[in-house]
Amino acid sequence: MATTTATITLSSADLLSDSLSVSATQTLYKAGTTTGLDGIQYEKLEVAAGTQVDMIDATTAGANKANKVYVANKHTDETKYVEIYIAALQIGRLYAGDWMFIPLEAAAATQDVSVKAITAAQHVEFALIHEGKTLVSS
Amino acid sequence: MATTTATITLASSDIADNSLSISNTMTMTTAGTTTGITETTGLARKKIASATEVDLLTLANLEVTALKSAKVYIKNTSTATDKYALIGVGQATGTPIYIGRLYGGDWMLFPWSAILTDADGQAASIIDGGTSAHAANDDITIKMSDSTETVIEYMLFFE
Repeated sequence: MATTTATITLSSADLLSDSLSVSATQTLYKAGTTTGLDGIQYEKLEVAAGTQVDMIDATTAGANKANKVYVANKHTDETKYVEIYIAALQIGRLYAGDWMFIPLEAAAATQDVSVKAITAAQHVEFALIHEGKTLVSS
Repeated sequence: MATTTATITLASSDIADNSLSISNTMTMTTAGTTTGITETTGLARKKIASATEVDLLTLANLEVTALKSAKVYIKNTSTATDKYALIGVGQATGTPIYIGRLYGGDWMLFPWSAILTDADGQAASIIDGGTSAHAANDDITIKMSDSTETVIEYMLFFE
């Protein structure tokens, strides 16, 4: 079993009257257990502008688990962004430099995680840390 | 203008032959600019002791501008690794799209489109000149795996 941790630190000295400092660390376990997730897919893509493309396919083996997804927009022009979708629903925009980290339910085969670059091709980095996925027959 | 940063560190020494070490810091800015986000709900806590699907963030009660750079942080503060909070986007009374499960100790941070529906129930949909298939408000929903009382922490950054 592997041990993988994800730590977040949220901080600001001037967003509120007092300093903001929130920190949390999780160990990435298989669903409902204390056994570590042991599968990983880590890629960097160039996403062409204007077309919604899949980054992560929802597969039967990955459905209703505790898989985790990290996505980062590596572009440097702050006016550019990519839209992140689960199934047909646009979850939100990742502007240049933004990242996100979510658990992935992938309850149905239609609930792929997809991305669409707006106005310019952009590089997107993503990692799927998982406990298994259905492989496609060759 | 405020400066707010979010840093993630993903680390493992044994998930592969080589160590995994991802570290990334983003500065939260308003959409398309380098100006820092200045609005937040602050860090909030909510006790949930029911397995009924409810709103964690109700869009109609917030002043979030749609299709900007809002970010949502959520943490399940429980220590029970066999119980979870299922987080979705949509309407608790309808059929939200589920993002995923936060088991005890898990957290998530994600951008939020925060789209309200319009009169035809298809805000920002293709028929309205947009690109999304929205048929309901983009509320953030939560459904616990059982009725064990659990404290959920959350924070919204928005413009």
